[in-house]
Amino acid sequence: MTLGQAKLAGMLLASVIAGAFAAPVLAETGEAEEATVMTMDAPKSGWFFVRGGWGSNGSSIFDSATGKMVGMIATGRDSDLGIDPAGKAYYVAETIWSKGNRGTRQDMVSVYDAKTLKLLTEIPTPGRLVIGGLKTNFVITDDGKTAYDYNFDPASSVNVIDLVKRKFVRAIELPGCANIIPNPGVGFSSLCADGTLATVAIKGSTQEITRTEPFFDAAADPIFSNFAYDRKKKQAVFLTYTGLISVASIGAKPTIGAPFSIQQAAGLRVADTKPLDINWYPGGMQVMALHRPTATLYVLMHKGEYWSPKESAEEIWAVDLATKKVTKRFPIKDGGGNIEITQDDAAMIMVTDNKNNARVIDSKTGEIKHTIENAGGGHITVVEPM
Amino acid sequence: MTKFNPDAIGENLLRRFAGRTSRRGILSRLGLALVAAPVFPLLPVSRAEAAKPDRTPEAKTAFARNAQTKDDTKCDYWRYCAIDGTLCTCCGGGIHSCPAGSEPSPVSWVGSCINPDDGKAYMIAYRDCCGKPSCGQCGCDNTDRATQLYLPQLNNNVIWCFGTSSMEYHCSTAMMIGAA
Repeated sequence: MTLGQAKLAGMLLASVIAGAFAAPVLAETGEAEEATVMTMDAPKSGWFFVRGGWGSNGSSIFDSATGKMVGMIATGRDSDLGIDPAGKAYYVAETIWSKGNRGTRQDMVSVYDAKTLKLLTEIPTPGRLVIGGLKTNFVITDDGKTAYDYNFDPASSVNVIDLVKRKFVRAIELPGCANIIPNPGVGFSSLCADGTLATVAIKGSTQEITRTEPFFDAAADPIFSNFAYDRKKKQAVFLTYTGLISVASIGAKPTIGAPFSIQQAAGLRVADTKPLDINWYPGGMQVMALHRPTATLYVLMHKGEYWSPKESAEEIWAVDLATKKVTKRFPIKDGGGNIEITQDDAAMIMVTDNKNNARVIDSKTGEIKHTIENAGGGHITVVEPM
Repeated sequence: MTKFNPDAIGENLLRRFAGRTSRRGILSRLGLALVAAPVFPLLPVSRAEAAKPDRTPEAKTAFARNAQTKDDTKCDYWRYCAIDGTLCTCCGGGIHSCPAGSEPSPVSWVGSCINPDDGKAYMIAYRDCCGKPSCGQCGCDNTDRATQLYLPQLNNNVIWCFGTSSMEYHCSTAMMIGAA
């Protein structure tokens, strides 16, 4: 038996075993069985899509109600996942090389059928930033017709992809800016190193780029790149390293609301950038989650000094954005670096840690509902209300 | 509030360079980064450091107060104040040397770190070694003055293996650039 034959035999055996396990009903009749393949429901508001940690492939889908895995999307290493608003497809912006770790580089958006999770097509693109861990690099517009994919090579630009015709349209150069916010009817907006918010108004084959006045210091107190965006309200929620929260109204001319301190919202002293100023600071890779129906922001917080933006969390703070008050604080026993929340009434939180374990937490009580070992240590995606 | 503006400096460089070059070629983009990379350390962070020469413990970050100069295979080695990744010193490489078979990235992100022996700040270029699987030894993630993606030269999440024959990340070095 050649190596290829051995592999094939192994795969066949594995698929037979997998098919047996995947059978919906255990029927111990002794009769010969057929290998079958499951199909998926359309993306559900109660699902978490959990990335398998740095350098690993696959996004596991967990049901927040049961804590059980229901499937996996083949998100390649350091790829970005987008969910079709109509629930028909998953989009994976990814990069592969023809010989694995070398050879010809290929960038693409891979399109998967949401029901079968089978590859429908690949849309070649001229490049993308290989980074992982960011949910603002690849965004789908509210109407599901366009994708914006951030590129850095190492000059920054945004690739526009037509998801209806399934083809790359063009690249828009955007020096000094990154992280994409959909801006319906206009184009998109991005955070910039000069402390402004840039808005790219796309007009056919041209575009006009305008910027707000500077509203944050990108070097001294940066805004976390994994900010949140509410598509219904057209509002972005920003959080800085010191814990300043601001809400931006996104449109042709975005406006930025006055920032407020998360510590002050909790009845504590405002945090500073100075060393030896021990306070509560936000920290993590996916540092915050917005429950859009209740306008409540959940933030991973730790006690320490400034310049600790990736520190593992000790608590989750719930911030009511309307009253600008911290309404709840939940301790996290084993730390966490990524947080997300389902957008349904159940409002279940998931936190993943650097040991690839996940916890599903009831946001109303702080109770841990499920602990999922090896769920994945990467960032988490949920279905967004449109 | 704004002490320095790395973006404006980077953008000026970009614009000047772009005016003389074909904007589409990867070589021009890479060349631009190569031109810009050594200048970043000389300009923004060194200015910031010059503006605040206070080296008392009260003025130092938690990392700087606890940094050591003896063991470059530990995350608290002073040059690693803004490193994110696996240390090449633990992977068969050195503080400025890639392990055999890997290739140094021509561009990098930078940190401004204080040497506890002389109390001075130095510019450190964190060059990734590329083209082999992730080393996996001595993973560190220090974040002194590390910012976000819109300020990429001070962001330690970007894999800087641009212009190398493979973008696969192996480990990170911490090259001395000079006094800040």
